[in-house]
Amino acid sequence: MRSLIRKYAGKLHRDRSIAQGRVGIAAQDDVMLSEGAPDLSRLAADVLSRLSCLGVVAASPSLPFAGFLLRRASAGACAIVPLDTETRTFLHDIPIVRREELAGDPARAVAALLSNRKGVIAEGVGIVASGPVTLEQAYIHYSSVFHAAFVKYLLDALQAGFVLPGEAEAFRAFRETFLRPPTAEGLSFRAGPLDDPEEVLSEIRAVGRYTVERGLVDSFFGNISCRVGETIFISQTAASLDELAGCIDPVPMDNRSTTGITASSELLAHRRIYEATGARAILHGHPKFAVAMSMLCEEKDCPVKDCWKDCPNVRMLGDIPVVAGEIGAGGLAVRVPPVIGGPGKAIVYGHGVFAIGRNGFEEAFRSMVDVENRCREEYFRRLDARARGEYSKGSSS
Amino acid sequence: MLVVDLSSGRMRREEIPPEFLRAYLGGRGLGVRLLRGRHTLSPFDPAMPVVFAVGPLCGTPAPTSARIEVVSRSPLTGTVYDCSAGGRFAWRLRAAGLFAILVEGRSPRPVVLAVTSAGEELLPAEGLWTKGVVDTVGVLSDRGSVAAIGPAGENGVLFSSIMMGEGNAVGRGGLGAVLGKKNLKAITVDGDRTVPVADRDRFDRARADVLRLFRASPVIFGELGISEYGTPALVDLMRQRRMAPTENFRRTVFEDSSAYSGPAIRAAYGAKKEGCFGCPIRCKKRASDGHPLPEYETVSHFGALNGISDLHAIIRSNDACNDLGMDTISAAATLSAWGEARGRFPSPEEVGPLLHDIAHRRGEGDRLAQGSRRVAEALGKPGLSMSVKSLELPAYDPRGAYGMALAYVTSNRGGCHLRAYPISHEILRKPVASDRFSFSGKARMIKIAEDTNAAVDSLVACKFAFFGASLEEYAELLSGVTGEPHTPQGLKEIGERIYLTERYYNARNGFTRADDDLPARFFTEAGSSGEGIVVPPIDRARFGEELTKYYRIRGLRDDGSFPDDGFLERQP
Repeated sequence: MRSLIRKYAGKLHRDRSIAQGRVGIAAQDDVMLSEGAPDLSRLAADVLSRLSCLGVVAASPSLPFAGFLLRRASAGACAIVPLDTETRTFLHDIPIVRREELAGDPARAVAALLSNRKGVIAEGVGIVASGPVTLEQAYIHYSSVFHAAFVKYLLDALQAGFVLPGEAEAFRAFRETFLRPPTAEGLSFRAGPLDDPEEVLSEIRAVGRYTVERGLVDSFFGNISCRVGETIFISQTAASLDELAGCIDPVPMDNRSTTGITASSELLAHRRIYEATGARAILHGHPKFAVAMSMLCEEKDCPVKDCWKDCPNVRMLGDIPVVAGEIGAGGLAVRVPPVIGGPGKAIVYGHGVFAIGRNGFEEAFRSMVDVENRCREEYFRRLDARARGEYSKGSSS
Repeated sequence: MLVVDLSSGRMRREEIPPEFLRAYLGGRGLGVRLLRGRHTLSPFDPAMPVVFAVGPLCGTPAPTSARIEVVSRSPLTGTVYDCSAGGRFAWRLRAAGLFAILVEGRSPRPVVLAVTSAGEELLPAEGLWTKGVVDTVGVLSDRGSVAAIGPAGENGVLFSSIMMGEGNAVGRGGLGAVLGKKNLKAITVDGDRTVPVADRDRFDRARADVLRLFRASPVIFGELGISEYGTPALVDLMRQRRMAPTENFRRTVFEDSSAYSGPAIRAAYGAKKEGCFGCPIRCKKRASDGHPLPEYETVSHFGALNGISDLHAIIRSNDACNDLGMDTISAAATLSAWGEARGRFPSPEEVGPLLHDIAHRRGEGDRLAQGSRRVAEALGKPGLSMSVKSLELPAYDPRGAYGMALAYVTSNRGGCHLRAYPISHEILRKPVASDRFSFSGKARMIKIAEDTNAAVDSLVACKFAFFGASLEEYAELLSGVTGEPHTPQGLKEIGERIYLTERYYNARNGFTRADDDLPARFFTEAGSSGEGIVVPPIDRARFGEELTKYYRIRGLRDDGSFPDDGFLERQP
């Protein structure tokens, strides 16, 4: 269990979602174990002792966005509600607990909220998340809250500007110091088309790891596949893209075997993309700026309310199509295949990016990097434009 | 609740104490609570109750929640026993204005209990006695939903089932024989009442959340999932994972299993989707001629476990068990143990006549009707019964999933996969994956899952829902229905109470740590390694260490006993 605690603490450091050294992780088997920053590991253990769970992660995020969202929320609000797909599907909402509510027995206040949700934003502490079945879940839930808060803050900042003291400065530091543009430089890809199954498995494992290492996912989520003849080799559901050894299912195109029942929930989308485009490789990740930009729509008086699943339109971000659709057996498997063939990439509203390779993974990976960088540029272009307008408004007030 | 005394024929409707529903929810929990005070009676003692109970979500549009729990003490295992079934019976019971039926006593002659929202009556059933389930249901079908026993239940087969008219089964544990001893051939229920939902907006939001999670789950709604192929979707997976019990668990790969896989059944029988009332998953499958098709456990045990690859023979075995009213898992596993003991597994042609002999207690069937443990002991080969607490193991070899190995022995009803259902994370990767060849952390995982599933069985919802959703969403559904706040943590605490109560009952009936054990084969013989997967025997020392951890986590002594005798008195 201790080795798992260290494993996930290491992952949180490497993916830069926690402030240096500011994580505490607790796990319980027949005894309670905790490690990390003393205050946070104590909190994690105290929270866990009140829950019927395997593990708890308590950490200070590397970015102050979750805290800003908490402070920007109305006084009576008890949760924030990000509208990205991960939140809609898995988190539902993210409870917030304010400093005064944490006075006295913070673990009790946090545990009360975690008894009903996967992760909590606690003022002055950071994010606390639980893992009901495994410790890995606590890591995933922490990461999902971090991701959801990141995306929501980008959107809120764009729509409402900076409203709290220190926000603008913190955001500038994020933009100028923290952010690193994703890149494919320094990575090696096998030239396609790939036909040997062993080679395919090896390449999927490598590209999955690149996708995590280059920050194109939240925690390790996303999926990846390669078609060889009449077989799709695809990552399994809930598989770490950076740990895919033994987690790739061979699925026949004609469904004559159901071994692939453990394949990614996006198997149907992958299959239809292969059928529609003739691609050989598909990569799907959740890069944050692409997710945020896909949720900006300038349509006025639109009758569609649940845009994320019901919008019938194909919007364009430059030459990148954006479509709506639920994950799994929802709509994205219908809406992505018809639009992805030409541009080789598509964004799903509030969810993430699909990219294809006609031969191998290099094209897909570079496309995903390109989408994220262009979305990032477009985001900051809009933010700057807004700031210029707001600056004059702010100056006059 | 309707209380039926079959000895006197008296029936009364009475209120369930509200504190019971708060502390035990309904379904399994309520049944377990209602057994208190009579939990040490023999299963066949007329005073031993059989409780049919729904949960608080039944009758609402909460997905997968139209399920009935039947609770009593098992004549096969001697443990407290609950078993659930879908179909329409639970929904119609609630529509008849009832949350539960408690049946006690013994009728002097065969009867049918007929319940409607207008009242209830006992009908003479001499004309139905000896009839199969299909004919019985046919005769009673104009009375609503039917739960009936077949000849196996009448004749005291220790693994006889209670069959629902829609083809679902209260399959395991021999509760059909308990009804048979009471001379209760069937129960029919019908009604027209609706169930109120206190907070409709909250309920609807939670329901939408559940359905979204179902759609996101490849196991549920994936194109290779159980909605498409039913549970036989697992046949190919278990073959690939090399953990399909074969020839009485001597091996873990059956080379011909593709003969009865989900796609094979669909191709041969034109399988169509059918669901329990209000269930969007619709994992049950029917042939194009309308008759129910078997589940994964059934095809695998009448297939691999007996070395049979003839799909049509397997389907016939399933049909026979359903009509005779017998648990397919125990029936197939008992035949397999007997087959190994005599040196030859039954041929496809032999299985059908043997099943009829068992149900009617004829010839060798009389011995086989006692289940594999008693058969193996009688043949002087007790090690050949692949059972825990006399309940035959289902089609997940414990050498291929160590959490499953532990959960088989900690299950309060014997060798059952559904108490903790670690297959969910060890094999199906839901909600996350765990290392199937490791014991690390499994003791607490199993404990938490047992508590969770005790709550699920008391709501009563289908385990398959939890391949996508979690207690988080189901607590919200419950909050919406009742108007009172519920949390996953609160539900797990209720589940823990239920689980410990069951274990306490079992302890009072003489069960100890010695009963929490797997057959020796799993510690001494390897499974079928290959294709890069090594399936060694389970390390007994490590297994014992994890079991001790489990006891400590449960607050028990290292020998699995309760630290004091006052547990029950402290419970509501």
